[in-house]
Amino acid sequence: MGYVELHCHSGFSFLDGASSPHDLAAAAAAQGHEALAITDHDGVWGAMEFASACQPLGVRPIVGTELTVGAPVPGTVPGTRRPFHLTLLVESAVGWRNLCLLLTEAHAHTRDGSANEGGAPRTGTARRDALPSLLPLSSLEQRTEGLVCLSGCARDGALAGIFERARGLPSGADSAAAAALGERLVRAFGRDNFRVELQRPLWRHDMARNRWLAGLAERLGVPCVATGNVHAHDLSRAALQDALVAIRLGGSLDETGALRRGNSRSVLRPPAEMALRFADYPAAVAESGRLAERLRFNLLSDHGYRYPGAEDEDADRELAELCAARFEGRYAGTPERREAKRRLEDELRVIRKLRLSGFFTLHADLLELAREVAREVRGPDSARGVLPPGRGRGSSVSSVVCYLTGLSHVDPVRAGLFLGRFLNEELTDVPDIDLDFPRDVRERLIPRIHERYGPERSALVCAFPTFRVKGAVREFGKALGLPPTEIERVARSVDGWAGENFESDVEVAVGGKRADSTRWKALVRLVREAWGLPRHASQHSGGMVLATRPLNELCPIVPAAMEGRQIVMWDKDSCADAGFLKIDLLGLGMLSAVERCVDEVARTRNERLDLSRIRLDDPEVYDAIRNAETTGVFQIESRAQMQMLPRSLPESLDDLTVQVALVRPGPIQGGAVHPYLDRKARLREDPDYAIPYEHPALEPILSDTLGAIVFQDQVIQVAMALAGFSAGEAEGLRRAMSRKRSDEAMAAYAVRFVEGAVANGVPRETAARVFEQIRGFSGFGFPKSHAAAFGLLAYQSTWLRVHRGPEFLCALLNEQPMGFYPPDALVHEAQRRGIELKKPDVNQSGVDCRVERVCEGDEGLVVQIGLGYVNGLRKDDATAVTEERERSGRYSSLAELASRAGIRDGALGRLAWAGACESIEPDSEGARREARRIALWRLGVASGAGPRGQLSLPLPLPDAPELRELDDWEVAVADYASTGMTLGTHPVALLREELDGVAPNADLAVLPDRRPVEIAGVVVARQRPGTAKGIVFMLLEDETGVANVIVPPPVYTECRLAVRTAAYVRVKGRLERRGKVINVLANSVSPLSVPGQPQAEVRTIEPDPVHETGRPLEPAEPARVAAAGALAAVAPAAQSFGGRG
Amino acid sequence: MTVLLYAPKPARVRVDERGRPVAAEGAAVEAVREEWLVEDRWWTPEPIRRHYFELALSDGRCEVVFSDGKDWFRQRA
Repeated sequence: MGYVELHCHSGFSFLDGASSPHDLAAAAAAQGHEALAITDHDGVWGAMEFASACQPLGVRPIVGTELTVGAPVPGTVPGTRRPFHLTLLVESAVGWRNLCLLLTEAHAHTRDGSANEGGAPRTGTARRDALPSLLPLSSLEQRTEGLVCLSGCARDGALAGIFERARGLPSGADSAAAAALGERLVRAFGRDNFRVELQRPLWRHDMARNRWLAGLAERLGVPCVATGNVHAHDLSRAALQDALVAIRLGGSLDETGALRRGNSRSVLRPPAEMALRFADYPAAVAESGRLAERLRFNLLSDHGYRYPGAEDEDADRELAELCAARFEGRYAGTPERREAKRRLEDELRVIRKLRLSGFFTLHADLLELAREVAREVRGPDSARGVLPPGRGRGSSVSSVVCYLTGLSHVDPVRAGLFLGRFLNEELTDVPDIDLDFPRDVRERLIPRIHERYGPERSALVCAFPTFRVKGAVREFGKALGLPPTEIERVARSVDGWAGENFESDVEVAVGGKRADSTRWKALVRLVREAWGLPRHASQHSGGMVLATRPLNELCPIVPAAMEGRQIVMWDKDSCADAGFLKIDLLGLGMLSAVERCVDEVARTRNERLDLSRIRLDDPEVYDAIRNAETTGVFQIESRAQMQMLPRSLPESLDDLTVQVALVRPGPIQGGAVHPYLDRKARLREDPDYAIPYEHPALEPILSDTLGAIVFQDQVIQVAMALAGFSAGEAEGLRRAMSRKRSDEAMAAYAVRFVEGAVANGVPRETAARVFEQIRGFSGFGFPKSHAAAFGLLAYQSTWLRVHRGPEFLCALLNEQPMGFYPPDALVHEAQRRGIELKKPDVNQSGVDCRVERVCEGDEGLVVQIGLGYVNGLRKDDATAVTEERERSGRYSSLAELASRAGIRDGALGRLAWAGACESIEPDSEGARREARRIALWRLGVASGAGPRGQLSLPLPLPDAPELRELDDWEVAVADYASTGMTLGTHPVALLREELDGVAPNADLAVLPDRRPVEIAGVVVARQRPGTAKGIVFMLLEDETGVANVIVPPPVYTECRLAVRTAAYVRVKGRLERRGKVINVLANSVSPLSVPGQPQAEVRTIEPDPVHETGRPLEPAEPARVAAAGALAAVAPAAQSFGGRG
Repeated sequence: MTVLLYAPKPARVRVDERGRPVAAEGAAVEAVREEWLVEDRWWTPEPIRRHYFELALSDGRCEVVFSDGKDWFRQRA
């Protein structure tokens, strides 16, 4: 074997590697590398992805890491106090285990501040910043078996670093220090497993350094090995690597020259070229091949994981007993009993065969723990006590075993759920169990699991936030030294995540001439290249790995940013490739809101609601759903859902199950939506209408969804029924659909599918057509079981909205952020249907929003906004105000509030500006429009009167002088600035007189179809879904309601700035009515301005052209002026422009 | 007038078929002591790409020369 690259970084070196493992693997195959090592800095984050990518390409993956090592004990070895790098490569399973333990130890203190000498330990913060990892040399020396150690890179390597710090002129003492450290490493690893690493990055002292290192190797009696210190898969990525390093160092490219690589040579090159680069050291080249021959550890098969509980001989019996004990309680006397019994026995047989019994008993045990935690969180007498601690979602809901062990709350036999995806005999992908918890239960549960199973046996799965366009523009823009104002303008104006039209976005934002300059062109290129590369590691939303043997021997475990949590170094795909069993503990805002609502209902109505016992065919609930009166409810509240509900007209939970699954990228792209809606409409008109199926074999599978493929599991069933796929093959197809970079795999499945179907007597064209539907589905879809769980929650939340409206609204406001609408829109919608709300008030409000009874009956309930809604008010200040009031009674004056509550001046000012002090001294102030100004004036007088600038005695405050009243605009501005919402007059109502020819949104319902209309309002949501071919959807709210606006691509191009950025817009267009669904198809969209209001201008400040190019530019294009009127100040903060709904 | 210290001066360099110096400033190259590459400022209109050689010449001199891809220059070591 010739040259083998044994030192290579991927993007998983985080800001020190410019290629993905896939790109590296593909380049290695193309360049003729037989094997390639991945050695990311201090981690194996990308090792599994790399190994999986290499295997099908015929490149043998070698795994390892470039480890940062220090000798924190002073004086152990002279000259080694500064951390240095060593390249570690895994030779055997023992080596992998040791590497995992070493990396776990290296990261153990990265979140507590004690890793660096002299670093002040940080404690008591909920989120902890990461410090660099560091492994003491003495720890490394304890675990060297199965590992091959190379002496490290040219700049920071254990030995070469000494040469580098001596600036190419090492003294005798430097050489002695290097020899001493080298001897220590030889002792630790053995002469066979330590090599002196030679690199040729084409730097100033390369040849001298390699001569010095070769001499050292001879002195140590070990061979040299040549490596390339690869940081990218191709020369074209060298610029990106430079820019990433500049970002890592927090400086610009101009500032970081000395610390970057200096040229483009640290990229993967063909073995022959590398051999030529090391022509002076042929033995070192040969040694790379010899080592590679030895490094035969296969991460895909040799990591040693076994299912938790697989070694427990009693697990099969325990699980069977557990299910038997609960079976009769669930099924005795039901018509499903016989079928349930059959399915239970079948499932238990498959579970036994797969040796998964221990896994299920472990999770049943975990659920008991969740119950315990839920009891603690909710309190012993809480009305929430009747709710289960969490709910299943995802494919596990289809299992009878999960239903009996409490992992799911949906009876899969009654709901007709298909098990295949979750469990089958040829399982290639182990089943996930997904559980949704209210946020507060989940927060407490995760650290408790670490406690119960031990910190080395449980950890969260990690996630890798990747470079997306907006973030990349900001970071690379800064690295390139582009003007911050322009960077920000570009970042705000780019479309979507992927930045499909990024180049033209830049042109629009900064002008064509600027966009054509070298730096801006570099930005466009960097942003494109970086897209999708991992930016850093973070924790997955809730995926957890549990093991019965120490997990840190299988994959390193590192502390997460949140206190009390830790993560494995692999994301969910890598964990799946490793075969790790995962349980997803997800925090679901709506479950929290439902729990809060149940509590609130108990408080206001003295009623203990049991949502599992409400009727599931309530006509009022279905009326609301069919009329799309679903603002705030789970799943079916989005713009897209509301457009569909009046057409699909759900009548049952089964309909709702389809409904929540329908508005997903999979069914939309697979072309399922319109056939489903049309057939449903036909069936309503003619109950004898025969559903057209592509093939009779599909009827039993697709009858629930009227012949369309809506659920993910239908894909599996279709593949099995039509093309004769086995369950395992069909599951493979599903995985290929949901994985990134799966085009080749999908093409292979297409052939197998069509051939299989033809062999089953299906016409070729039919088979191809069905496969196209499946391919279209590739985006994302729900399994039916998941949709059933979500459909039920959608129903329950609609029930609460319909029957317990004030409490439900209150719960939603307290759980923000969640759902589709900002609080301002929720509140206005509630006001329109008659729910009364009151603004924050120091004499009425709690910290959270709550429902107050002012008189008997449903109308007697008022939602009191909590002090927590006052922007910038700290929670302890809000608590102090409410607790003092509960202790000693109402505040009768501002002076009393200031002295009794003991809160800061700033907090009092915020309360006053939010209008929360208006109930104090009502005779003198409450009724007056200048009340907020007076309160602020008097608080200003009060400040400075006592120690720390606050009143300690309730001294009477002087009367305020004559102050101007607040006009309506000023009230609205103050409301939005202080609470993000207004309960007073809607801003559009204030503008109404000025809006000539503009129809109120409520009028759209009575205006004739296709009539030209003009409407105006605050933009509640804007979306440009990837599935909508460039169309933008906007929701505009005025004082009468919400209108749907459709902006076709040409209008979007013309009016992009207004569509993307204006808080209030005026839309000219045509009314389009389809049944109860009304849209305005826009011809033009313009920002709304307020006559007579002062306006601010945002001007482009041209950068200093001399700084940019080294010579003056021609006169710049006219500066672009964007008007940002006072309206921006009366808009809710939350507006979406993304994939929701 | 600005005077640049250590400004590169044009050099006479003869190269072999691989582009490596075989003679510089009228003397044959005895040995290449170092060879390095500087590629930088690619984000500006004036990117830098210099292939440097530190040469031991037959007349005993040591010269540092570089090529910008077109011309050869001499620079103080």
